[in-house]
Amino acid sequence: MTQLIAQRPEPGTPRPYRFPPVVRRSVAGGSVVAADLPGANLAVASLLLDAGGGRETIGVEGVAEVLAKALEEGTAARSAADYAVALESLGTDLSLSVDWDSFSATVQVPVASLPAAVELLAEAVRRPKLDPADIERVRDDEAESLRLYWANPGPRADAVLRGDLFGAEVRHGRPLSGDPRTVGALSVADVVGFHRSWFMAPGTLLVAGDLSRIDLDALGRAAFAGADEASPVVGDPFPAGGRTTRRIVLVDRPGSVQSTLRLGHTAPHRSHPDYVPMTLGAIVLGGAFTSRLNHLLREVRGYTYGIRSEYGLSRRFGRFVTSAGVQTAVTAPALVDAVGEIARTQAEGVTEPELAVARDWRAGQLSVGLQTPRAYASALSTLVVHDLPDDYHARLRESLLHATVEEVSAATAAHLNAEGITLVIEGDAAAIRPELEATGLGEVVVAAI
Amino acid sequence: MSETGYPWPIETTRLANGMRVVVSEDRSAPVVAVNLWYDVGSRHEPAGQTGFAHLFEHLMFEGSVNVPKTEHMRLVQGNGGSLNATTNPDRTNYFETLPAEHLELALWLEADRMGGLVPALVQETLDNQRDVVKNERRQRYENVPYGDAWLRLLPLLYPEGHPYHHPTIGSMEDLNAAELATFQAFHRSYYAPDNAVLTVAGDAGPAEVFELAEKYFGGLTAGGSRPAAPTGSLDGWAGPVSSVVAAEVPAPRVYVAHRTYPYGTPEHDAVTVLATVLGQGRGSRLYRLLADGARLAQPDSVGAYGVDLAYAPAPLIASATARPGVTAARLGAALAEVVDELVTGGVTEQELARAQALLETEWWTAVATVDGRADLLSRYATLFGDPALVGSRLPGWRAVTTSALAEVAREVLRPEDRVTLVYEPMEAVA
Repeated sequence: MTQLIAQRPEPGTPRPYRFPPVVRRSVAGGSVVAADLPGANLAVASLLLDAGGGRETIGVEGVAEVLAKALEEGTAARSAADYAVALESLGTDLSLSVDWDSFSATVQVPVASLPAAVELLAEAVRRPKLDPADIERVRDDEAESLRLYWANPGPRADAVLRGDLFGAEVRHGRPLSGDPRTVGALSVADVVGFHRSWFMAPGTLLVAGDLSRIDLDALGRAAFAGADEASPVVGDPFPAGGRTTRRIVLVDRPGSVQSTLRLGHTAPHRSHPDYVPMTLGAIVLGGAFTSRLNHLLREVRGYTYGIRSEYGLSRRFGRFVTSAGVQTAVTAPALVDAVGEIARTQAEGVTEPELAVARDWRAGQLSVGLQTPRAYASALSTLVVHDLPDDYHARLRESLLHATVEEVSAATAAHLNAEGITLVIEGDAAAIRPELEATGLGEVVVAAI
Repeated sequence: MSETGYPWPIETTRLANGMRVVVSEDRSAPVVAVNLWYDVGSRHEPAGQTGFAHLFEHLMFEGSVNVPKTEHMRLVQGNGGSLNATTNPDRTNYFETLPAEHLELALWLEADRMGGLVPALVQETLDNQRDVVKNERRQRYENVPYGDAWLRLLPLLYPEGHPYHHPTIGSMEDLNAAELATFQAFHRSYYAPDNAVLTVAGDAGPAEVFELAEKYFGGLTAGGSRPAAPTGSLDGWAGPVSSVVAAEVPAPRVYVAHRTYPYGTPEHDAVTVLATVLGQGRGSRLYRLLADGARLAQPDSVGAYGVDLAYAPAPLIASATARPGVTAARLGAALAEVVDELVTGGVTEQELARAQALLETEWWTAVATVDGRADLLSRYATLFGDPALVGSRLPGWRAVTTSALAEVAREVLRPEDRVTLVYEPMEAVA
């Protein structure tokens, strides 16, 4: 006969939380920021430049991405094919990433190969060939790649939401990677010009690995060679603004078996003093599995495979967004439920049992999520991009664990905006429009996209 | 360079009820991974019950005798942990990674749903999770372009009655017909301690883990006899096979697939290397010849990989999406030609070295986390009876030679054994 233990066990003694010492070096005009991971077989190096989507001007959105792809089309020293084989024979690709605040190029290799990998990284980032014919080809490929991507549910809804929140007259009111049309219209001069403007400041080299086997100064010299422009100045946050009336924007996807929901409004920037309580509130609402939204729409109603809400925060602006795919036939009731939970959370705040889950989850994830060199490099990137102190992660853990119901409820009241939220629904318009209008949640408009 | 791919200690024991326990201690981070493999997957499903193993995986999160509905997720996340579970043709795995002081909580939760799920399983839960799974099917397979490629490839690769013929997500009809009693019986058959491997990796020692395993799992009764999975046969399978689908897709796409060898064999190691030569990275054959050279395929669309299935010859799949103006026929012919060249022309030493270097990094990335290690140890214990064999995978890749690649290519990439799946945009065929 099976015997189960009925009593839930108490936790053991907590192990101390520690973030490895952050090592900073000034080398050849740039900064090296490193985390020591004794015994790690792999090492990661990431060159971080203040050259993200936020540096693009209106009309050339997506140029940073096209440039990123063009960097691998050959260098001053070797052809594209030779470059690929040289780098991949060290065991790594060149992982290129563009977000609103930064551009990064990352390599991950067995630690002995790190100097050679950083040399190759610098060769592509600092001394690319940028042949006009290659740039045009890469641009066309990127435009087609976006066209294929935009055939998925989601990208069009995201673009419509972004435009509605921030307006098409500012860069961050347009998609981070541009759209198939804007990217297709980029010129060779746009791409070369972006490199000249933003890729010749030294930036920061992030390194995570066994530092007893790594010469940080040598890596810094390789990464910063020839990069002697001054570092660009970071602008102030944009005014957050926000709508006062709710609206439903329909993006037609005929025949869609699900409706893709993107419900969002503007939010403060990343360095806002309410960062901790605000993001904890978003976990209670829609971050954890047992959050209000996922519990109701998935576990009670069965409308969706999953629904989540989160803040997307960068240096100069932010937004709150709730995302889900729901079965077409239940689009309207799912929307009513979701808006209801957002409004309830704004009006009533959070409870201690819910907040306890959010607090401990995020604090614990600082340990659980930080196991690999890549994860440590990403944590270092947060320090650099947002100009945070070396003990930031240890302090963050403490502020998460000490956040009170009152603080978090005050933050949800201040920063959620259920009355002014924009409800973008990408789905079969003919099938869902009448029901959406009947919800009374807001005026229904169809987006031209 | 490490001789083994697994330079951490491995300790094992077996409880009296047959449950195997594996421990791999590493104190470098204050976290612990708990991982269970149950030796049941969609290959065990009889006709009319496709998708049941996976739907059952969902039910395992919905409460058990001492754990009310929703508590499992709340307790793990609310104590700082990550958790999930997956089902594939071979097996079902459950795993959580937590701050180390919550190890005992994780073991308690896992034991309670292993030994005490059936009394807590009610119709309402089944109905709700059936709806969730149907939404998972819509979201992952039906509502995205090319999303059903895997569902279409399997029946082309494996004949009716073969355990890999049907996909793990199952059919809507079978899910609709699912009855509570079937799931209760399913749990009794397969969710028994002697059909499971428990692995704990990270900030915990073997003595402590063995004692806790005995405390929480020792009281569970061993299962009775279990229906064996059908073995399936590929004898008489005559190819090549091809299928053309007109769908709501933005461009033509071609998949080429071959049955190769079961996971865990030296030949499968060679296939993994071969797939890397063929389709991983900008230095791969597909990138150089189809994307860069002939400009037939979208550069970010080409790829090839070997699937890690252990109970029959596992597939190697290569795919590419056409550039504007390129027809599916032209792309398909070129893709087939690149695969054929592996057979006729072999692979160079430089290509082999590139692939092995990429796989070396991939391996150390996979074992950089305690959760990655725990899952691999459970895998090797479940599939091959010995978790320590995990250390042989990386040396297996390193030992592959160009002549071994030529041999497996000749053996498994024959045109007459090829399965081809083509997507054509609706308007192109209208």
